[in-house]
Amino acid sequence: MTSVRFGNKLTPMSKLSAMLTTDRISGTALALFALGVIWESRRLPLGTFRVPGPAYMPVLLALLLLIFGVLIALTGGRAERLASIRWTEWPHAVAILYICIFSTLALERLGYRLTILFGLVFLVKGVEKKGWLLTVLFALALSFGSFYLFYTLLRVPLPLGPWGI
Amino acid sequence: MLETLQNLYLGFSVALSPAAFLYAVVGCVIGTIVGVLPGIGPLAGISLLLPASFGMDATSAIILLAGIYYGAMYGGSTTSILMRIPGEAASVMTCIDGYEMTRKGRAGPALAIAAVGSYIAGTVSVVGLMLLAPPLAAFALRFGPPEYTALLLLGLLVLAYMTGGSISKSLAMAALGLLLGMIGIDPMTGFFRFHYGIVELGDGIGVVPVAVGLFGLSEILLTAGQETPPKVMQPRLADLLPSREEWRDSTWPIARGTVLGFLIGIIPGSAHIIASFVSYAVERRVSKHPERFGQGAIEGVAGPESANNSATSGAFVPMLALGVPSGPIPAVMLAALMVHGISPGPLLIQQQPELFWGFIASMYIGNVVLLILNLPLVGLFVNILRVPYPLLYPAILVFCVLGVYAVNSSVVDVWIMIVMGALGYLLRKFDFETAPIVLGVVLAPMLEMSFRQSLAMSSGNYAIFIHRPIAVFMLGAGLFLVLLSLLPIFTRRVNWRRLLGLATNSDLEKEDNR
Amino acid sequence: MNRLIIVTFSLYVFLVAPLHARAQEAFPNRPITIAVPFPPGGVADLTARPVAAAMERVLKNPVIVVNKTGAAGAVGMSYVANSKPDGYTLLMALSSISIIPEADKLFDRQPAYTMDQLVPLALISADPTVLVVRGDSPWKSVKELVADAKKRAGEISYSSSGIYGTLHMAMEMFSHAAGIKLKHVPYGGAGPALTAILGGHVDALASGPAVVIPHIKANKLRPLAGWGAKRVASLPEVATFKELGYDAEFYIWAGMFAPRGTPEPVLKKLRDVIRQTVQEPDFKDAMTKLETPIAYLDAPDFQKFWDKDAKMLTDAVKRIGRIEEKK
Repeated sequence: MTSVRFGNKLTPMSKLSAMLTTDRISGTALALFALGVIWESRRLPLGTFRVPGPAYMPVLLALLLLIFGVLIALTGGRAERLASIRWTEWPHAVAILYICIFSTLALERLGYRLTILFGLVFLVKGVEKKGWLLTVLFALALSFGSFYLFYTLLRVPLPLGPWGI
Repeated sequence: MLETLQNLYLGFSVALSPAAFLYAVVGCVIGTIVGVLPGIGPLAGISLLLPASFGMDATSAIILLAGIYYGAMYGGSTTSILMRIPGEAASVMTCIDGYEMTRKGRAGPALAIAAVGSYIAGTVSVVGLMLLAPPLAAFALRFGPPEYTALLLLGLLVLAYMTGGSISKSLAMAALGLLLGMIGIDPMTGFFRFHYGIVELGDGIGVVPVAVGLFGLSEILLTAGQETPPKVMQPRLADLLPSREEWRDSTWPIARGTVLGFLIGIIPGSAHIIASFVSYAVERRVSKHPERFGQGAIEGVAGPESANNSATSGAFVPMLALGVPSGPIPAVMLAALMVHGISPGPLLIQQQPELFWGFIASMYIGNVVLLILNLPLVGLFVNILRVPYPLLYPAILVFCVLGVYAVNSSVVDVWIMIVMGALGYLLRKFDFETAPIVLGVVLAPMLEMSFRQSLAMSSGNYAIFIHRPIAVFMLGAGLFLVLLSLLPIFTRRVNWRRLLGLATNSDLEKEDNR
Repeated sequence: MNRLIIVTFSLYVFLVAPLHARAQEAFPNRPITIAVPFPPGGVADLTARPVAAAMERVLKNPVIVVNKTGAAGAVGMSYVANSKPDGYTLLMALSSISIIPEADKLFDRQPAYTMDQLVPLALISADPTVLVVRGDSPWKSVKELVADAKKRAGEISYSSSGIYGTLHMAMEMFSHAAGIKLKHVPYGGAGPALTAILGGHVDALASGPAVVIPHIKANKLRPLAGWGAKRVASLPEVATFKELGYDAEFYIWAGMFAPRGTPEPVLKKLRDVIRQTVQEPDFKDAMTKLETPIAYLDAPDFQKFWDKDAKMLTDAVKRIGRIEEKK
């Protein structure tokens, strides 16, 4: 572990950043999530030891998660620092997630083929910066080809869009 | 014995008739397609083709549907190995070491071992089905809620051996997975938990969208944007087949996976999904080099793949011997028989010998067909990796969305996949392993239901778990395993921090050097 | 570039696309969908498939069966209840259609759908459930079972397809009529419930006759009584609860529904088609193989039948109440 210590002088900022390790962050997040689950279970009856109710298992599991989350956070002082995680693929990941969300919204409005066609054009042209010809050919082949295989041959019900496309 | 051979002769004369043979091949091909595609697993595949089987005679229908079932189990490993996308829930464990092998250029051997392991497991377990079906089925039915609870608790113990990282992190992930499995209508009281107005969450969140999201989508999110895209693989012919060493390493995992899968498979319910998880954990536990697991160990492919295939044949045991709808897939197959006017029941084997023995013989044939089909496909599939990643990953995404949507025709499932993809991405950034989450989602509803059913049966008396021999045996075995893993603390004074995975690497190096 | 694609795409999805779906012509001019809210292989699915095949022949227009499963049928039913009332989306539902809104009410939650959102088209089949116990159990008649249950209140157990499910309702009606208390162990579907009694983990089960008859023939299960007004044709020696003096009547029925608001001419057309459908020989043949009796009722009679059935079921749900509050 390489810790940043230049003599004993630590600026407040670097002190904070040295405290923020990956495990501390993730452990705290898990513990907070567990607390959230316990809070959300308040409306459900807990039941008893002999007759567990609907909230029994969730609360029990959330308590376990809370314990492990706290454990991870407490012992995570020497894990990697948050700042050392590199987020170089972040823009790509966001773009991909974005197109996933969009396709899901569009799937039952536009139909399968058009949604996938648009999605692929966006990914291949917009994100991966390929040529138009390749993009269009690839997107057409994949969207219509997969539709043919599933809808026509395997009879998987897929949503149709306007004009029955 | 002679009688069995005579019956088998009858069976082969049925199964080798042109129509039956054709249906076995068609079933295997469709099964392979259905299995290869992510999301659409055997259940969805059989459900989709069930109407098509109405027009056939009963034997052909059941041969076709069974072909789809075990064909899907063969195909399920393909996308797991090549793209880290589980083709169906049972091949989640194959993703871990299978995909690592692909990254090391050993995709061919991984696929080949998966096919050969599936073949051996499939064939051996049909022998088991043929010879042992009636006695085993009677035993399998004794698995009531208390036995199930004990079995699933054993399944939870598996977690401890499943991952190589820190145990506290694994357990946190398992707890998270179990919590996610709590979503939905409580089967014992009817309360709708954590639904936030979404009716589709009533049956809980599906394993498929969770697995595809956590494994497949998160992998795409992590790799697509790397500054140096993954290099295009140029597989050579010599790399397609396993080396002698890899064959040797796989022998015992295949054997163990076959037996284990068959035994777990005969238990009614959905427990067969955990066969591959248990097999992976067992292989890791008995291995002399457990640290190789997660880094592309071929045992981690051979064991689980064999286990999920022999579990398939195991699932037919109570169905054929007793006519019991012992799980979702056997239930659909029994419905297919009923459509043809055959009432499945304990007398099925006596009353319909052509059907039973024809079915058995068709499984022998089907497994050979699948091996012949799958080995050449290894070469074809490996070539998929030649597609440049910027084109490959959009295609993978399409199949993820399509496969997840097709299971229930539900957009909600696609949303779950996206959320899980994002979650998996973050968790892997923070050095968590996601396999325990999937196991948790699989186990949670079954565990909770059987636990509370047991208490309902005994009116809240916990003694029910120790009054039933099978349950108490399994709980004892679990306790023994726990004690066994704790033993080194007392005898060899192993650093407990290391055991819990809390110590950092530098500490461990220091200790190792001592 | 990116932004342009996104903007056009969004505009299209949310503004233009909904307009396309407006076109109206003579009914039917495109495939009709029958939504089944249960998985393939279940009663609703196995009834819907031959209905769809026969309707297709009568209509000369494709009729597709789609399984919209989830939440014990609530997903599929609310899907049809909330879909466009144009006659192209129909529902094949079981008795549980009347239970779910009542259960929603019980738990003070936003109902997935209400019964007013659907109009009945026709009843297709109605199958009375039968009460079975294990073949090796001591009870030879309902009387013996009731007497024993009175002695050991809450000790004799039964499995069901799920809490507030149809099989649970049937048992609740019986135990209410007989004034006994039984122990309920819910399972996740009719299949697991049958497996449980065959494995000896529970003592009794209410079930559709078709699936238990083979096990009765093999002496693994023993039928005690039926819930129907008449005896089950394939089990002529088994008396009905009414004959035995218990006021319990229950059917697992399958009926077709359309969303409310469907134009009257379309509804009439559909009812005519279904009337012809149930007389098709192929359809009759398919239902005979499934051992499911056809019990066709046209919309007005079906409405009466449904009202009466729904009242019985909602009363039963109210009697059961919330499980954990009765302890």
